[in-house]
Amino acid sequence: MDKITYRIKRFDGTREWFQEYTFPYEKNKTVLWGLIKIRDEQDPTLNFTSACRSAICGSCGVRVNGNAALACKTSLDELLEIYQTSTLTIEPLSNYRVIRDLVVDWEPKLERMKEVKPWLIASEEKDLSLGFIQSEEEFHKISNPTDCILCGCCVSECTQHSTNSQGFYEPFIFTKSYRFTIDSRDNAPSQHLTPSLEKGGLWKCVRCMQCVTKCPKGVRPADHISGLRKESMGLGHQQNKGARHAYAFYDDIRKTGRLNEMTLPLKTEGLTKTLSRRIPLALRLLRKGKLNPLHFPRPVQGIEGVRKIYRLVQKEERS
Amino acid sequence: MKYAFFPGCTLEGAAKEALTSTQKIAEALGIELVELEGWTCCGASHVQDIDDLLALSLNARNIALAEKLNLPLLTVCNTCTLMLRSAKQQLDQTPELKDKVNTILGQSGYTYSGSSEVTHLLWVLLKNYGLDNLKKKIKRPLTGLKVASFYGCHILRPPDIMGFENSLNPQSLEKLVEALGAENVAFEKRLDCCGFHAVFPAEQEVLKITGLDCLSAREAGAHCMVTPCPLCQMQLDMYQPDSQKQFKETLTIPVLHLSQLIGLALGLSPQDLGLGRHIVDTHPVLEKILK
Ligand code: FES
Repeated sequence: MDKITYRIKRFDGTREWFQEYTFPYEKNKTVLWGLIKIRDEQDPTLNFTSACRSAICGSCGVRVNGNAALACKTSLDELLEIYQTSTLTIEPLSNYRVIRDLVVDWEPKLERMKEVKPWLIASEEKDLSLGFIQSEEEFHKISNPTDCILCGCCVSECTQHSTNSQGFYEPFIFTKSYRFTIDSRDNAPSQHLTPSLEKGGLWKCVRCMQCVTKCPKGVRPADHISGLRKESMGLGHQQNKGARHAYAFYDDIRKTGRLNEMTLPLKTEGLTKTLSRRIPLALRLLRKGKLNPLHFPRPVQGIEGVRKIYRLVQKEERS
Repeated sequence: MKYAFFPGCTLEGAAKEALTSTQKIAEALGIELVELEGWTCCGASHVQDIDDLLALSLNARNIALAEKLNLPLLTVCNTCTLMLRSAKQQLDQTPELKDKVNTILGQSGYTYSGSSEVTHLLWVLLKNYGLDNLKKKIKRPLTGLKVASFYGCHILRPPDIMGFENSLNPQSLEKLVEALGAENVAFEKRLDCCGFHAVFPAEQEVLKITGLDCLSAREAGAHCMVTPCPLCQMQLDMYQPDSQKQFKETLTIPVLHLSQLIGLALGLSPQDLGLGRHIVDTHPVLEKILK
């Protein structure tokens, strides 16, 4: 291959269009190298952001062939190989307001992030002269979420955020919420957590794993969402559909080893909601034999061992 | 070829047709599936929200059951595959965690050693069985059938746990569909999510997600969708009439389990493959191929 083409989505404040730029191929280059080359040699009006070129500042997130990537960290050779092409389509990150070309507006996201108070709220009673020392284990708990560089790649293809941007936090906000909720030096975990539960749609994550996949730093927002759910139940927030749904699985496995699909809606939504909303679906399934009201899973072989695992895990966690 | 078979809860319940069609195609292909005695639910991405050590221990037990048989573990559900592989990765990469879990398992009669692979039917067909061998068994090529190959999230993501192929531009499912004689259509949502795991807490959003997936396949000219995940199949098929209420455009499209599509090409009967158990009528698919 001797030439590469970038098909770039342009926006001048009113008008949107795709513009193609072709330049000579060079080995071992990044997506950002191509953008800079275009701006330097072909079109000084092309707007994008970048600074460190070392995957640290988080300013160069763009969408390549529909997938968010950090331009300075993403190898052109790898992409050309993955997509078997010499033309890449480059767009601004999705789920952001676009300012110009590849430049997106961070202001509303950062404003929203403040809801989870992404800073330490230390205990006033602590003796400041001793400082706030953490054990190695305590540090490891926050180590992954602390790696977030706020590049925004996790938001771009987030499934729930794409359909429900107002009712669902950006994955990096959950990561911040989790990071401060579980920090051993913090004294107000619920102030970081409750907004995720009440405003952020904590239980609405569909577990598509786009955030974990797209993060260029190995941060795992989906795991942090799991962690926040666990913390929220620990703080007593168990009477919501998400928590009840999770407990339906937890209880069924202890009882028989397997899920009882018949009782799942009842356990998750309660009798009234199930009767008022699920009847058409249930009839549809009954008609096709997909729901068998007479099927009650019998305990699996070795269920005593399974129940023992529950008891031993609980004992281990208490110790 | 012999595998320890982990069916997963859905195949025992709403997706019984996936169980029978998997067993039938395995038989036709000469792949021996030994169902794991005493397997339990993988936790379905929910149990970890309550207790991650418990979810890990339960899946260590599931894998230990396959190790006892000295066989690799085969799944047919994306989420089961992810849950089991995720447990395996944690146990294999963290010796202290493996010791901790083995102390728990040991007291109820199991040991996890790490000797059994966790794999998915789609991967086995591509990598171990081989498409050329599969082609030799085809009795009824699916010529003229246009298929939208829908992967489902958990067979691809997260790539550091799944890793069979590149998650940004996978090709396995399309290659398999092509080997069956069908034609793949290009559609925008082929790597998207079906929404299944939040259908209760986020019903309205999920119905929209489901509808957009179906619409994308339909507008690309597909006669049906096919998926290697029974949860995606359930979501896209069972909830299609509910999704329809959110859309003006017609969404209707049959959604087949991968095992059913393979079964059709192997010459198995629609009854044997449970094609009458679908919510969205599968006759339009049959009309294309049973000429
Ligand atoms: S330029 Fe700083 S992260 Fe890419």
